[in-house]
Amino acid sequence: LIFDDGLGTVALGLNLQLSSNGLQSAESIKSLRGTRESLALTDEGNSFGSDSELNGYTSERQTDKYGFIGGAQQYSEQSAEDIPPEVLRQREAKWLDMLNNWDKWMAKRHKKMKLRCQKGIPPSLRGRAWLYLSGGKVKREQNKGKFEELDRQAGDPKWVDVIEKDLHRQFPFHEMFVARGGHGQQDLYRVLKAYTLHRPEEGYCQAQAPIAAVLLMHMPAEDAFWGLVQICEKYLPGYYSVGLEAIQLDGEILFALLKRVSPLAHRHLKKHKLDPILYMTEWFMCAFSRTLPWASVLRVWDMFLCEGVKIIFRVGLVLLKCMLGSQDKLKTCQGQYETMELLKTIDTRYMLEGFLVREVIIELPLSERDVEKEHLAQLRRWKETRGELHCKSPPRMHGAKAIMAAEPPSRQDLRQNPTIIVESSLATNKNVEGQEEDKARIKTKEQKNGKKTGTPVASNPEPSDISTKPTPPIKDAPLQGSNQSLISTEHDTYL
Amino acid sequence: MAYAYLFKYIIIGDTGVGKSCLLLQFTDKRFQPVHDLTIGVEFGARMITIDGKQIKLQIWDTAGQESFRSITRSYYRGAAGALLVYDITRRDTFNHLTTWLEDARQHSNSNMVIMLIGNKSDLESRREVKKEEGEAFAREHGLIFMETSAKTASNVEEAFINTAKEIYEKIQEGVFDINNEANGIKIGPQHATTNSTLSGSQGGQQAGGGCC
Repeated sequence: LIFDDGLGTVALGLNLQLSSNGLQSAESIKSLRGTRESLALTDEGNSFGSDSELNGYTSERQTDKYGFIGGAQQYSEQSAEDIPPEVLRQREAKWLDMLNNWDKWMAKRHKKMKLRCQKGIPPSLRGRAWLYLSGGKVKREQNKGKFEELDRQAGDPKWVDVIEKDLHRQFPFHEMFVARGGHGQQDLYRVLKAYTLHRPEEGYCQAQAPIAAVLLMHMPAEDAFWGLVQICEKYLPGYYSVGLEAIQLDGEILFALLKRVSPLAHRHLKKHKLDPILYMTEWFMCAFSRTLPWASVLRVWDMFLCEGVKIIFRVGLVLLKCMLGSQDKLKTCQGQYETMELLKTIDTRYMLEGFLVREVIIELPLSERDVEKEHLAQLRRWKETRGELHCKSPPRMHGAKAIMAAEPPSRQDLRQNPTIIVESSLATNKNVEGQEEDKARIKTKEQKNGKKTGTPVASNPEPSDISTKPTPPIKDAPLQGSNQSLISTEHDTYL
Repeated sequence: MAYAYLFKYIIIGDTGVGKSCLLLQFTDKRFQPVHDLTIGVEFGARMITIDGKQIKLQIWDTAGQESFRSITRSYYRGAAGALLVYDITRRDTFNHLTTWLEDARQHSNSNMVIMLIGNKSDLESRREVKKEEGEAFAREHGLIFMETSAKTASNVEEAFINTAKEIYEKIQEGVFDINNEANGIKIGPQHATTNSTLSGSQGGQQAGGGCC
């Protein structure tokens, strides 16, 4: 077994911890749900509890399977759907194969890769997959030592001050970020500060923090930094720049697209003078990470990092259409404030993983060209009404393929750099064979062979112990863990 | 619920001065030190009574970081009152008041009532801005002034309610054109069904009082 850059270790640790979560009694799950509901009642929008409630959680340390204390990120568990472990194992094998042959997959089988992103990336490989999709992996390889260098430098006090004030205000109910000065907040600081040094002309925008935090939940600081760089420069260029023109322009684009998707919703918003930036700023700038149930956030990000910003537009359009798309619904929200309130408290059923992903993939075939066409039209309008843009952003890249084409990596850049290799592959193979069907097994072997050409570095006794001992409890631990939790998907679309 | 008037407020000021905490203290009567950073806009609403009339306050809470200014501007539209907040323990948040005020004056209607708030008055030992300085600034710019603590709830009610009183007086004086919603004031539903005799009688009053 090979562990990549410490990520594997992270995933393993998570699995073990999750499996213990999976054993929670029905009673304790029920009590968690209760708190969640009471939270939702006490607070509009983001359902976070009061100080005393938080203290209650921290002492109990009850986290949901995503690490949110007391399921604070809106209805996460109810919305996630379980996948059988065998399917999960197959998917992991397929993703390992893709990661090992990334350039080939991108060049020749991109459609299939897209499909797999739509079906959901296996949680154990999500961080690595995101880094590859975003091009962050290539950036990291081509700029070796860069992050370390930025990390060592002192930041501009102007930015450092603001960043420090924000550290405890990012997913404050996620176990990683709950402790003041804890490792999550420290890494968040490092990543955001490094960005201000990397792009001093942009500095720090508060909406970057949730993006960085989501990445940090899945990868180490250096990787999260490059992921953030890619999102800010390739996926959402200009969003976090002074003046926030790009987000305003995208607001106009969204509104124009809505006219086609739901004329009724469009008319309603227009009638009540609801400027798009009133409702879409947080959605788009944080890539829905603060809006949707967590299972849905992950699935949206899987697709977003593969296909680009059109996914964000689609999600926005789905939500607007669902919330404002019928006369019935509009009757109850006559007025600007009422409409805003409605859009702040989106009906959970429209945000559930299965429903949302289906809508985004099937019901809303909005293409890159549609977005680009509307972009040009709105840009023209902007220039007519408001003059030239003050901030010239680089062109937007629509997803992983475009990014890779724009900056072609060398083979070397794509190679996985294992930091831990466990030599006794026989024992592990047996272990794997016992559980998986033939097809998947062959792929796993293939990827293992491929891996051997990589650079073996060190071996770590701890993970090797775990992976080589085929004793049932340990062998089952990650399996059970991922089955009970983490993974999120529509149940009718297995690979 | 029936109300005689609805006032729209906006809360502005530098990041981290306690805007969201003030709002939460006013609407929910609780202090929550751990919360998500405001990106874009958040809301709250509460009913208050002035002069025997039910008034609904609809409060828009904004992002404080400078880069969000261009967006915050669009929230000023149609606000009857603004709470301009600084942090008494951070001099820079006080120094930025002028630019906030310029922004507010430029993008709102001219009658908007502005309340200057020096928040975090519970942190006396860390005070960097004297109360007199806040008062002087308010006097100079024609604002109402108060020091509050979102943590202890000191003066929070008063800050929101005094602003409403000022708006209400302006309505009585005929300064506000209440038929123009762009002023941030709405007359309540005149034929609203009410569930208490008290507000029922107010509903009647308000139907007659539409002339001001």
